[in-house]
Amino acid sequence: MIGLLDTLLVLALLTTVGLYVFGANRFAGYIGMAAYAAMTVIVVLVGQTLSGGETAVPSAMAFTVLGYPMTWRIDGLGWFFALLTTGAGFFAAWYMSGEWNEAQPNKRIQHGTLALNVLAMLLLVSSGDFLSLFIGWEIVSWAAFAMMTQLGGPAATAALRYLLYALAGAMALFAGILIVRSATGSFAFEDFAAAVPNLPTATKWVLFVLFTAGFGVKMAIVPFHLWQAPAYSFTPGASSSFLNAVSARMGLFALTLVLIKLMGPALLAGMDIAYTWFDARSALLWLTAITMIVPTYIALMQTDARMLLAWHGIGQGGYMLLGILVGTPLGLAGGLLHTFNYATYQMALMLAVFAVVHRTKTADLDELGGLITRMPFTYITLLMGIIGLAGLPPMNGFVSKWMIYKSLLNTAQPLLLIAAFIGTLGTILSVYKLIHNIFLGQLRLEHREVKEAPLSMLLPMLTLAGIGFVTGWMPGLALSMVDIAQSALGIGLQPHHLGGVDLPNGSLNMLWVVGVLIAAIGVGALIFYFLGNRRWEVSQYDNYAGGHFLSADVRYHFSHEFYPGLARVIGPWYRGWVVKMERGLQTLVAVLGDLSGGVFRFAHTPFYLLVAVSLGLLWVGLFGKI
Amino acid sequence: MTSGANTLVLPIVLPLLGAFLLPLVARFGDGLARALGIVLVVVNIFLGWTLWSAVGTEAAVTALGGFEAPLGIVLYGDRLAALFVAVLAVGALIFWPRAEHGGVKAYTLTLLLVAGGSGLVLSGDLFNIFVFYEIVAVASYGLAASSGDKAGFGAALRYLVLGALGSSLVLIGIGLVYAAAGTLNLADIARLAPEKLSGTTGLAAFLLLVLGFGVKAELFPVNTWVPEVYAAAPMRVTAILAGVVSKLAMVVILRLLVLVFHDPAAISLLMAVAIVTIVAGEFAAYRASDLNRTFAYSSIAQLGLVALALTIPATAGILAAIAVALHHAVVKPAFFVIAAKWRGPLAGLAGGARVAPAAAGLFVLLALSIIGIPPLPGFWAKLVLLGGAFDAGGAYAFAAAVVLAATVVEAAYLFRVVARIWQPAAGAKPAHFAFSDLSPALLLGVILIVATLFVAPIGTALSGAAASAADAGSYVARVLPGRM
Repeated sequence: MIGLLDTLLVLALLTTVGLYVFGANRFAGYIGMAAYAAMTVIVVLVGQTLSGGETAVPSAMAFTVLGYPMTWRIDGLGWFFALLTTGAGFFAAWYMSGEWNEAQPNKRIQHGTLALNVLAMLLLVSSGDFLSLFIGWEIVSWAAFAMMTQLGGPAATAALRYLLYALAGAMALFAGILIVRSATGSFAFEDFAAAVPNLPTATKWVLFVLFTAGFGVKMAIVPFHLWQAPAYSFTPGASSSFLNAVSARMGLFALTLVLIKLMGPALLAGMDIAYTWFDARSALLWLTAITMIVPTYIALMQTDARMLLAWHGIGQGGYMLLGILVGTPLGLAGGLLHTFNYATYQMALMLAVFAVVHRTKTADLDELGGLITRMPFTYITLLMGIIGLAGLPPMNGFVSKWMIYKSLLNTAQPLLLIAAFIGTLGTILSVYKLIHNIFLGQLRLEHREVKEAPLSMLLPMLTLAGIGFVTGWMPGLALSMVDIAQSALGIGLQPHHLGGVDLPNGSLNMLWVVGVLIAAIGVGALIFYFLGNRRWEVSQYDNYAGGHFLSADVRYHFSHEFYPGLARVIGPWYRGWVVKMERGLQTLVAVLGDLSGGVFRFAHTPFYLLVAVSLGLLWVGLFGKI
Repeated sequence: MTSGANTLVLPIVLPLLGAFLLPLVARFGDGLARALGIVLVVVNIFLGWTLWSAVGTEAAVTALGGFEAPLGIVLYGDRLAALFVAVLAVGALIFWPRAEHGGVKAYTLTLLLVAGGSGLVLSGDLFNIFVFYEIVAVASYGLAASSGDKAGFGAALRYLVLGALGSSLVLIGIGLVYAAAGTLNLADIARLAPEKLSGTTGLAAFLLLVLGFGVKAELFPVNTWVPEVYAAAPMRVTAILAGVVSKLAMVVILRLLVLVFHDPAAISLLMAVAIVTIVAGEFAAYRASDLNRTFAYSSIAQLGLVALALTIPATAGILAAIAVALHHAVVKPAFFVIAAKWRGPLAGLAGGARVAPAAAGLFVLLALSIIGIPPLPGFWAKLVLLGGAFDAGGAYAFAAAVVLAATVVEAAYLFRVVARIWQPAAGAKPAHFAFSDLSPALLLGVILIVATLFVAPIGTALSGAAASAADAGSYVARVLPGRM
């Protein structure tokens, strides 16, 4: 029987084929919007079934190859990520519906690869066993590669680098699922969950490392993080925003599935590392902490707006995984909520940056400035987005970060909390640089005629920013969706209400927080407008920066080498040992390649045969049974 | 002789007879000779198919001339043999030479190759295996030299020297087996092996046989002829040598492992050879300078995978070996078709996707499958191989890790080329493909896609073939009834 999930997958498949065929059409964006909207509706219907008490919605699709059954079904966890996927697809298609579409030479590829990625991700999140999970995983990886590589040049280089990381991860995963099958006799999730507590410790460790590395590559966990920012940044706008918002989250989905749902945080916490006070879970927590901090400070140093945001995406993934690994209902809810929140504000931010690129043809933070007067709505989107990214009220990023912080406090892990704070500090500094260098200060001469982004691009940006605000003001809306995901994990739900969460040691009610904030802004506005001295408007060119008074005859915008003091202090930390490791590995492969190739180039081929026979016979004589 | 016996004898005899008759037929016109050759190859496909359907789990056995085993010459046809008879003939059909490729000489040599290859997989005794191995060898030396240029002759000569040395190793190995067991009939040797061949002599014989057959099977370190020959020989020859002939030698090694050599030391020897072959092949391919050499090295690595699969115990290993070998037999010839047009340094391939989109698309499909990306057939082959390795554990898990790491290298060199093809052309554009140039590869690509769709029934069929090939007891019982 054709169920909801089958309808969803068939629709995604038809969309992929349809958009590849008709992608060059000027209405392709609208076709995509309609398709992704329909998919989102189906996903919502699936959600209703799931919240009605069903544990999973099955698919009629099932194969048995070589005695291995493969099934697809979607549970709460997969549903949550499916919703993010179709939603992000919808906004990306919206962005591509008007002027953007007309300006692109490769519309067909852009629309087609977007639909292909949506299809692949839906397949992945609805996998019902390790084998279908692996198949989905590979298809997702290659679909992303197809999306990244389309512009050629540096994009192709970055995509190839991504591909090798992704494939190395996939091979770790391949080994993992085969070890699971050897150990439990099947690829079924249930069999693994039942068998894993009784597996030998060594096997558990091998599986933990293989799965964490395999899935972690997609999430760009340090030290597998080098590929992500360039690969995402050089992809065309809407596609890049889609990748930033949800692609790396497939790694989070799979990690949550295997580490939390199947293995369980308690089991991980029981896997002690000898002679240290670490166990598997806390070791990964600290790796996560490094992932929050290091990429964030790398982001701070970027001079390309796209790269800056993409580097932050890696750090933000760290927050999500941190909350999820805490493993309490509050931590899980925080981590999952952060996934949703991040998708909204990161997508808004990327779309805004690409709107600027669309108008000015540059994403170089040293060559922008003062655009607030030319692109005010883009500015508003970016402002709301960075408030969310920095985790400040009233945007939704605050709520999820608060919940993650709180879960760390409640589980008595203050050091990790400090690590998270250090990451957040870097984020705040960095996003200020972003908005300052693009929108504040004096407008450059060549940007005098720049127009605001067209409505077709503004509307999705502003809608996303609006969602970010509404779910920050009323986080209960998003937390009800998180509930569905969390119910699939078997760790219990975090009770919540429309305004936030109630906890015995300090609650959060955003209805109050936002109310007080707006009231305070209102009071400030009253004072500003009606009390005190007269105010007058200042020309954009008649302001000052860095203590220098500037006049309209000299255009000046301080952007190059932002934060020189900070750079001087933390600069030596950027030793780039991971980069060196990567290069070392490349060199090693090249050397081994030359050695192997040299063997074949050697002219005296029969000599090898002689050597092989002699050595072989020697070996036979020494070790053969008499 | 029964009708079952005909399907065993005819795949060898008909092409052999054809090979002798063709030069005479060619006097009445090259087209006639060509047509006769093609007909004979098609008949071989049909015979292979008939044998496959006839044998089921019970293999067909025939003693030539009525002399019963172990004294007489025995042909043994199970599904594995049937499969390779058919695959060899299909390969020969797809890459059948035309008049401009050497005319009747090429037809004759190809038919000789088909006859020898069929005999190699059908033979039930070591002596005939050697004879047919030599026929295959002679035919392939001739074909390798048929490009008629200096590089081709040089490469073929080196191939000949190495091949002749390999054949003599085989002969010494067979001599050792005969000295120890007193018989050349495989079933009889299998019966006597635990007693007579479990010691040093057996191990030494195995070493010599593996190194000897390894010349054709592209095993390290006796595979140094491969890159040179595959780069210099005509594409049609390279495709058949890399795609099919190398696997025939593997089938012989498979029979030896199943029937004769069960010594753990022998298994570890082959495993070590396999691992080194994989590593050397993939890494050399990473630094290869043109497509032909890249695929030649990659072919070496793939045969290393087959050899590794053969070391995995029981049916799983044989199934993996057949799956990897068959997959490679489809993919690699298609690769060589593309490489035939796109010669020269890799950098010159920029712009290929624009000039020849079909070839570029096919390249991606083949690359994805050979890397092992689901749901393409290459993935299932690797799944069976690595699954068997992890089930066996221990050193096999290490070997599996090597294979997985090598896969990343494989992806690196293949997709580096893909990225190059999609770049805008710098300077001279790569060659354009006429439909007739690309059609063999397209056909193989279609086979690959069809195999993807029917992977479940194919898997079941191959599992059956592997199970009967792994059954040494039934081999002995069929060939020597009443001697068990």
